[in-house]
Amino acid sequence: MSGLTSIGPNISPSTRRKPSAASPGSKARRELILVWCFLFPSLAVFFLYRILPLIWNLVLSVQKFSIFGQSEWIGFAHYWALLDDEVFWMALKNTLLFIASAPCGIVIALMISLMVNTEIRGRNIYRTIVFLSYPLMTVAVGIIWRWMYDEKVGLFNFILRTIGLIDTPLAFLQSFELALPAVLLANLWQILGFYMIILLAGLQNIPQNLYEASAIDGASRTVQFFRITLPLLRPSLFLAFVVGIMTSFTSFDLVYVMTQGGPSHSTELLVTYIYKAAFELSRIDYAATLTVVQFVLLVTLTWLGNRLSGGEAGAGRN
Amino acid sequence: MSQNMQPPSVKSLLSNGAKKRTSSHALPTWLLHISLLLISFCLLLPFYWVLKTSFTGENIFIYPPSLIPQDPHPFFYIDTWYYIPFARYLFNSVVVSVLAIVANVVFNAMAAYALTKHFKGKSLVITLLLSCLMIPFQTTIVPAYLITGKIGLLNSYLGVALPTFSTIVCIFIYKASFDAIPTSLIEAARIDGLSELQVILKIMIPLSSSAVASNVILSFIWSWNNFLWPLIVIRDPLMQTLPLGLSRFLSYHENTTGALYAFCTMVLVPGIIIFLMAQKEFIRGLTSGATKG
Amino acid sequence: MQRFFIRFRELVSCLTITIAACSALLWSTSAVAQQKKISFLTWNISDQEELFKEWIAEFKKIRPDVDVEWLDKKGPEFPAYYQTQVIAGTPPDIINTQGGLWLEYAAAGGLVDLTPYLTKDAEVRKRFNSDYLGSWVYESKNYMLPFYISKTLMFYNKTMFKEAGLSGSPQNFEQLMDFSTKMAKGEKTGMLTLNFDWLYWSLFKMNGVELLTADNKKAAFNTPKAVQVLDALIKATNNGGINKVSWTGRWVEPNGAFAAGNVGMLQAHSPAFFFIRGQAPWINSNTLGVAQAPGGWATPNSHGLGISKGSKNPDIAWEFLKMVTSQKWTERLSERRKVLTANIASDKTTLDKMHKQDPLAATVLQTQLEQTDKLTGNWPLANDSRIKEAFYPEIQNAVLGRKTAAEALKDAETKVNRVLGF
Repeated sequence: MSGLTSIGPNISPSTRRKPSAASPGSKARRELILVWCFLFPSLAVFFLYRILPLIWNLVLSVQKFSIFGQSEWIGFAHYWALLDDEVFWMALKNTLLFIASAPCGIVIALMISLMVNTEIRGRNIYRTIVFLSYPLMTVAVGIIWRWMYDEKVGLFNFILRTIGLIDTPLAFLQSFELALPAVLLANLWQILGFYMIILLAGLQNIPQNLYEASAIDGASRTVQFFRITLPLLRPSLFLAFVVGIMTSFTSFDLVYVMTQGGPSHSTELLVTYIYKAAFELSRIDYAATLTVVQFVLLVTLTWLGNRLSGGEAGAGRN
Repeated sequence: MSQNMQPPSVKSLLSNGAKKRTSSHALPTWLLHISLLLISFCLLLPFYWVLKTSFTGENIFIYPPSLIPQDPHPFFYIDTWYYIPFARYLFNSVVVSVLAIVANVVFNAMAAYALTKHFKGKSLVITLLLSCLMIPFQTTIVPAYLITGKIGLLNSYLGVALPTFSTIVCIFIYKASFDAIPTSLIEAARIDGLSELQVILKIMIPLSSSAVASNVILSFIWSWNNFLWPLIVIRDPLMQTLPLGLSRFLSYHENTTGALYAFCTMVLVPGIIIFLMAQKEFIRGLTSGATKG
Repeated sequence: MQRFFIRFRELVSCLTITIAACSALLWSTSAVAQQKKISFLTWNISDQEELFKEWIAEFKKIRPDVDVEWLDKKGPEFPAYYQTQVIAGTPPDIINTQGGLWLEYAAAGGLVDLTPYLTKDAEVRKRFNSDYLGSWVYESKNYMLPFYISKTLMFYNKTMFKEAGLSGSPQNFEQLMDFSTKMAKGEKTGMLTLNFDWLYWSLFKMNGVELLTADNKKAAFNTPKAVQVLDALIKATNNGGINKVSWTGRWVEPNGAFAAGNVGMLQAHSPAFFFIRGQAPWINSNTLGVAQAPGGWATPNSHGLGISKGSKNPDIAWEFLKMVTSQKWTERLSERRKVLTANIASDKTTLDKMHKQDPLAATVLQTQLEQTDKLTGNWPLANDSRIKEAFYPEIQNAVLGRKTAAEALKDAETKVNRVLGF
């Protein structure tokens, strides 16, 4: 890390004397005010639209809430009910599986990002192709992928049977084992573009001449990758990992359109269960309980990831 | 080749640095192309079907699936302009997205800059931000509506855009970029008498153009495709944003297949345009990455 | 780099102007309300914008002191929108619900009891087919008026029947399963059914299986006969007789599959006909057969209009309801959307006209008014959606091969009884 500053323009200590006459104490205070002023707009938005709603959910989770009538306090009854709820455990398992599959997507996205970050001709086109699926409306994505997975008339079965890989067609979305992987694949297809943006932005932060210097020293591509690229990409990789945790709920639309959490809850995620509980089963208080539990779970995972990547969201320097 | 031997100078890197990367650590070009072509094919396959159906309106459940479009015609694209007040919705979406992008670029950069400093409570703020990421929108619908109502922004452009005014992912993208700028550069700028704001505007942002580009792309897409929040908060039919027009194409009583896919493709186009425009910054980043060194 | 920044500055100035303009626009449009106002929320019928504008114009003549606002949300977002409005204290005065959603709201006290209104305006009650009107009765209280109605029927692909050497339509469950198995070949399957909102229930009811005991307090479906039925369904699903999409599809897939001409029989309600016809050029009276399901049992999936409890103007809302369910307006809806409205007089004229203009559609819609005493899958349960959630996944478990019929029904019984509080 210190190598970065040594590569920079040579600043001799003598030129570092600060011309201002302000005392160090007030400068520190000014900086503190600046910091909090700069943080304020963002924090205000998050306070209003994330933290307050979370508190609302927390309060709701200890009530029996009727949207048309009275609510009453019932303590932790919903939380105990959660433990007996087999749909909850199913949703939890599926959510964890979703999160566990994120590294796979990140690795693929990393490979693609490295490839499109080179000087090959048409890299703009390749990048656009990878990115194309991300902004596409989930309704279209859902219907097309459902068709592709169809047992009788779907594209995948057609291809697999034409090339002779399987004899009997696979009912992807009607199978308890294949439904979740099928949804994961569709999700991966859509989210690669997002990962790519994060990783490309991160790749731009790595100075060129590090590679050149190491090439001069005779380092092979592999060594360059593991010694230069990966470490300096850590903040972006951490961010991609966090996005990976998030896809367990940002893919809500896709799961909802493709399977509605079926068949028989085998693709039910915590977030789809929360939505169903709140708006289809009219149990908005139970949904609040699920929200709190999911929040605790995901924050724990993120915190663990943060610790493992050196703290400070992966940025271990400066 | 001899230029590689020289200590890197800003000028030579700006002109030649980009080209030198391939020789130092990339795979052979043909291999890259093959891999990328294969990947592109896989990624484009579903998209091809969306596009094909938008021109033919054919039933995708016909067997065997046909690769070639039958009787393509562009009338579904024309239909979408008439099924819904497309121009009006487009305008609304543009206003909301512009609000969102500008607010995002400004607020996120500010927050990220603050996070490059060391202050008491920094790790708390970072933990807080990361935790806020873990709150899905579906769990905040009702309170977000109530809060927006209290502020008095229901059914307004600002009300639709407000929850998307800052995004945590982009704050961290900026932070990663800002962190990569050597402090010596910033010190030098300060010595030259630049104020904090000027440091940000003249040094950090230009060197983080890829982060700005990412922010523009992502905040545009999230705001443009936002469906559930505008649905909840907009009441006046003329204030609706483009995705809300979707329901017209999901009719039970008539076959709107072709128009649905045409609509989805049309909604997709601005996002791709923004991506193509902003993509250039990823190349600038290549050379300015060298300048950072 | 300069260009990027010039664009940026332009963007900022554009933004400032836009915000200023929009704020100006907003403040000017939010005039102080002197008028009374009612709003009505419809379920995924945004194609009828013209009709609703006509409604509003007509109501303005009746009540010039009232402004009417129209809102429309499609199915998956409807409850989210409505419940948010209720919690915020601004529920739409009139809501249009599909299927069983009204039960949740009525049972929780969210809908106004319309019975006193119907007693006062007795002629309104007489307008409607009483079986359909009775679809919205909970604990002897009438909560909704019919908006447009539908129930399930069977569609037959006569070409596929001929190819499989079958003649005539199946008369009972065994024939249904037999015919579907005979038509299954390659990508072709014998039968498809819709599955949301209990639309598949006639398959059980035609065998005499009851979901709950007569007092609706306990599960009654775990019987040897039901196990037999479920076993038959499992077998047919496995051999391609029943298309697996029956158990996991919603609307586009099942109807798309039938429209593609690959499915022998489809159990769906009348709107499906119009959706399919748009995608299936092969459909005409020679290739499409239309009939009640064996036994005549059908699950209704009708749209009703009710008044929210939180409405500030329930009487005005009732006036509006009276107007839109009058013969003039129901006829217009039927004409525009090819649906029946359970308004007896208007349905008669609609069908008469349609028999001349579009005979095939007329035969489809005719089925909607026949055997309305054999409606099933529409129990007045406050916990309807939770019971569905407890029951249906177990059916999926059985037909998709995870559990045996006996296990699935047993587990479903335990879960349903738990929901019922047993």
